[in-house]
Amino acid sequence: MVFQLNFKSGMPIYLQLVDQIKAAAASGALRPGEALPSIRPLAEELRVNRNTVAKAYSELESLGVIETLQGRGCFLKENHSALRKEVRRKLLIEEIDQAIVQAHHLQVPRQEFLVLIQERLEALDDKRRVNEGQKGD
Amino acid sequence: MSSPTPAIQIENLVYAYGRAEAVRDLNLTVQPGRCFGLFGRNGAGKTTTMKCLLNLLRPQHGQVRVFGLDPARHEVEVKRRLAYVPDQVAFYPWMSVRETLDYLASFRTYWNRKTEQELLERFRLDPLQLTRNLSKGQRTQVALIAAICPETDLLVLDEPTSGLDPIVRREFIETVIGAYQEGNPGNRTIFVSTHLITEFEGLIDEFAILDHGRAVAILESDQARDRYKKIRARFAQSPPQLDLKGALQVRREGRELELIANGAGPELVECLRQHNPETLTTESLTLEEIFVATLKS
Repeated sequence: MVFQLNFKSGMPIYLQLVDQIKAAAASGALRPGEALPSIRPLAEELRVNRNTVAKAYSELESLGVIETLQGRGCFLKENHSALRKEVRRKLLIEEIDQAIVQAHHLQVPRQEFLVLIQERLEALDDKRRVNEGQKGD
Repeated sequence: MSSPTPAIQIENLVYAYGRAEAVRDLNLTVQPGRCFGLFGRNGAGKTTTMKCLLNLLRPQHGQVRVFGLDPARHEVEVKRRLAYVPDQVAFYPWMSVRETLDYLASFRTYWNRKTEQELLERFRLDPLQLTRNLSKGQRTQVALIAAICPETDLLVLDEPTSGLDPIVRREFIETVIGAYQEGNPGNRTIFVSTHLITEFEGLIDEFAILDHGRAVAILESDQARDRYKKIRARFAQSPPQLDLKGALQVRREGRELELIANGAGPELVECLRQHNPETLTTESLTLEEIFVATLKS
């Protein structure tokens, strides 16, 4: 997994890590049972505080996305959608609202915004197919 | 619930060199396990503050405490619990790297030989090399090894990477994160002064901006990046006259407007939005930009 941190996004660094791992799980870049990078090498590579990475992992663990196996490291859970449905919907609604506000600021009309969402869904489907194709080889 | 003893507590610290006040009424607290950055221009009082922690200088007013102890009265106990990398590293020139590390280890109750070996290899240092023949970067690397091997609860770094090449700077920071923090992550405290704020950005939990010996801001990094925003708007005609008192800085350039906000970001965005800008974007300031914005305004 390759992480991309952005200090200008205004989002706490540990949450950026949490979001990117969730996104990797959603897109298939990280599959159930696959290992996450160990805390120390990842912190060194990203040059972020070790505690920041540890905080991201413990957040993911409490969300039920990953599990820690003693002495073996962290893995994406087989069934990582342990979040209850309404909680998941709420998380998503917050993100959608942000995108809507941003679209308003950028003066993207409603119809164009909806078309864009459709396009992004299709793009992610394509990406997932490519990822699965590569892993199948 | 009682809170843990702070790793560092500085209260009303005053220190003057003759009539030149280097530190005037400085207050700050560093909790154990945190990485605290001390930012300031040259002469802002960073090194003087650190020297008071190390008992190289005695506070003229106020007090400093390291793990609750007065460095002047409990010098040995305080020095046992901290390690220090200064900006100018000096060793006995006739000693080899090996002899230097053995000499420094002789002052310590604990010394991790395995870590020492790993770091000598990582930095590709020849143990037989005399320290007078080391480059500036290599001297800093030896000093860092000597600071990490005793596995102290507090690591004090004074401009540790200034004047070093980018590769050595990177390795330095990676070593602090890896070799130092890994040992006992919850309790390894770092107190670092630097001008290379960008390089330490990911490491720093909390920071103080010093100006003329005073802390003009003490902020948590994540909260600071949330509060300090750069807002850019472009209008179809020249920007309207707006009430932008909440902005730290305002820059007008043709049809564009750029604001720096500290906390008032959402209100300013709303104010701009009501005048139907063609584009409106917001981004957080980096710690270095916050430093510059704070000292310029």
